[in-house]
Amino acid sequence: MSNDTTPQQDGNATRSREARVRGSRAMQNQDLDSASGSKIRVKGLTKQFTSKGGTFVAVDDVSLDIPAGRFFMIVGPSGCGKTTLLRMLAGLETRTSGSIEITRGDTGRPVNSMIFQGDSIFPWMTVWDNAAYGLRMRGVPKADIKETVGHYLDRTGLSKFAGSYPHQLSGGMRQRVSIARAFANDPEILLMDEPFSALDEQNKTLLQQELLRIWDETKKTVLFITHSVDEAVTMGDQIMVMTAQPGRAKVLIDVPFERPRHVLELRARPEYGELVYQIWDSLREEVQRAQRVEE
Amino acid sequence: METRAKTSSKEAAPTAAKVEKWGLSRRSKDRIIAVMSPIVLLILWEVTVRVGLLDARFFPAPTSIASTFVSLLQTGELVFNTWVSLQRLFFGFLLGGIPALALGVVMGLSRPVRAAVDPLISATYPIPKSAILPLILLIFGLGEASKIVMVAIGVFFPVVINTVAGVLEIDKIYHDVGKNYGASRWQVFRTVALPGAMPLIMTGVKLGVGMGLILIAIAEMVGAKSGLGFMIWNAWQTFAVETMYVGLVVIAVLGFLFSLLLNELERFIIPWKSDQQG
Ligand SMILES: Nc1ncnc2c1ncn2[C@@H]1O[C@H](COP(=O)(O)OP(=O)(O)OP(=O)(O)O)[C@@H](O)[C@H]1O
Ligand SMILES: [Mg+2]
Repeated sequence: MSNDTTPQQDGNATRSREARVRGSRAMQNQDLDSASGSKIRVKGLTKQFTSKGGTFVAVDDVSLDIPAGRFFMIVGPSGCGKTTLLRMLAGLETRTSGSIEITRGDTGRPVNSMIFQGDSIFPWMTVWDNAAYGLRMRGVPKADIKETVGHYLDRTGLSKFAGSYPHQLSGGMRQRVSIARAFANDPEILLMDEPFSALDEQNKTLLQQELLRIWDETKKTVLFITHSVDEAVTMGDQIMVMTAQPGRAKVLIDVPFERPRHVLELRARPEYGELVYQIWDSLREEVQRAQRVEE
Repeated sequence: METRAKTSSKEAAPTAAKVEKWGLSRRSKDRIIAVMSPIVLLILWEVTVRVGLLDARFFPAPTSIASTFVSLLQTGELVFNTWVSLQRLFFGFLLGGIPALALGVVMGLSRPVRAAVDPLISATYPIPKSAILPLILLIFGLGEASKIVMVAIGVFFPVVINTVAGVLEIDKIYHDVGKNYGASRWQVFRTVALPGAMPLIMTGVKLGVGMGLILIAIAEMVGAKSGLGFMIWNAWQTFAVETMYVGLVVIAVLGFLFSLLLNELERFIIPWKSDQQG
């Protein structure tokens, strides 16, 4: 899972620049040896929105190469085009230019399943029906649906609430349903758009741990968006930091921590703090720039 | 209402007794007032007619209306006319409601269809439905068909308009979910548009049933030989004022029963919304 670049835990003043240099090198390297085992390959992906006020570049020339089984994080300031990037990958948004290649494994499985930003489980379906949604749409045999959905509701601690409607659940439980729905669908890649951003700190930590545990069972390729550096370092194998307006790939940082991870123990480690600091350093510029743009 | 009071008193354990006492007395007070007010009105009516303050030719005493009601029941006339009206309502409801539902969802999902059909609906909706009756009689004759069509027209508009609004109100994210999880057009219709629009569809159905009741009465007054509307109209011609009142009361009770029935149905069809308050 680890890449050829190792994250820097030394030096202080040069950290940010070094990270940037290493980051771009990492991307080039991957471009060269991408022939082997790459799952998602994105080249020059760009999205322009055209409105009355003219055109607006939301995502600008983003290239990615993500090997199978990687937990890939995208961090960036609000409005930098993270959701737009993910929606293009999911095929929910057209792209202005660039290419997306997703290597497909065995047949019959859906290419991607998305966990959307904000509430997205159907209020008119029970927890069970929500979790079974993808499988039902695909016409999977009833017995298989029962087994798979039962498994993931169990993994997300929702078995007792299978017959409940979303409005009877807390925000954290609703997000668990969303996770169960995506995993039960058994896609080639999982796209997660800030799944925990609406949750309080305790719930967030709890769900991060649960998600890691479920993910460890399947080791699917994951693209996970967050604006939280902590979350990025906790969850990911590799982190891409995006620039603010237009959204570009700024650096690529490897996360060296072994798996399975224990969220709280990990956060107590000094290397963890250093890596978080390093990413913050490169992100700070962008956040400030985003603020200036807004003003 | 009851369950809400129960759960809230359970949650607020320390002050439960106080809350319950307050809630109970206020609730029972409301209920007593609700039961008493029509009774008081009826007694007042009866008394004013008996002392001659109200003209019994226009406002026959409740007791004499009641006795007419009983005799109409005994002759079978009332049951027959009510049954006939209910049948027309039922078929008219299906004839108007089902196409309205289907068209409404399709309009909500498809912008071109909406663009094409919306002006037609906007143009025809404001026409008073009673004004169409002569035309309907001309086309469908004096038989059952014209009555059923009138009801259908009355049901159609509120259902189609509310269904479109209901589908358009669905958050875009649910359509994205449908697409992302591979739902076909038909599956989007069945799993997103229809259930998502259901709360407003039910509102449309309630309005439609009310409209149907109005229109069946009107349609049966013109060129019909049976039904509650006919009964009322016939009573006017023979100056049987009590019978007229019996007809009115039966229509009012039907309207009341329908709304009870539809509220029950709503709780059954939309469990994810209706017990949100309870
Ligand atoms: N359909 C659209 N039409 C026009 N502009 C859009 C559209 N969707 C997004 N944008 C713009 O593109 C930019 C990026 O939006 P996006 O939702 O991808 O940001 P984000 O990085 O996900 O932000 P956040 O962290 O707040 O979710 C924003 O400035 C937004 O206003
Ligand atoms: Mg977003």
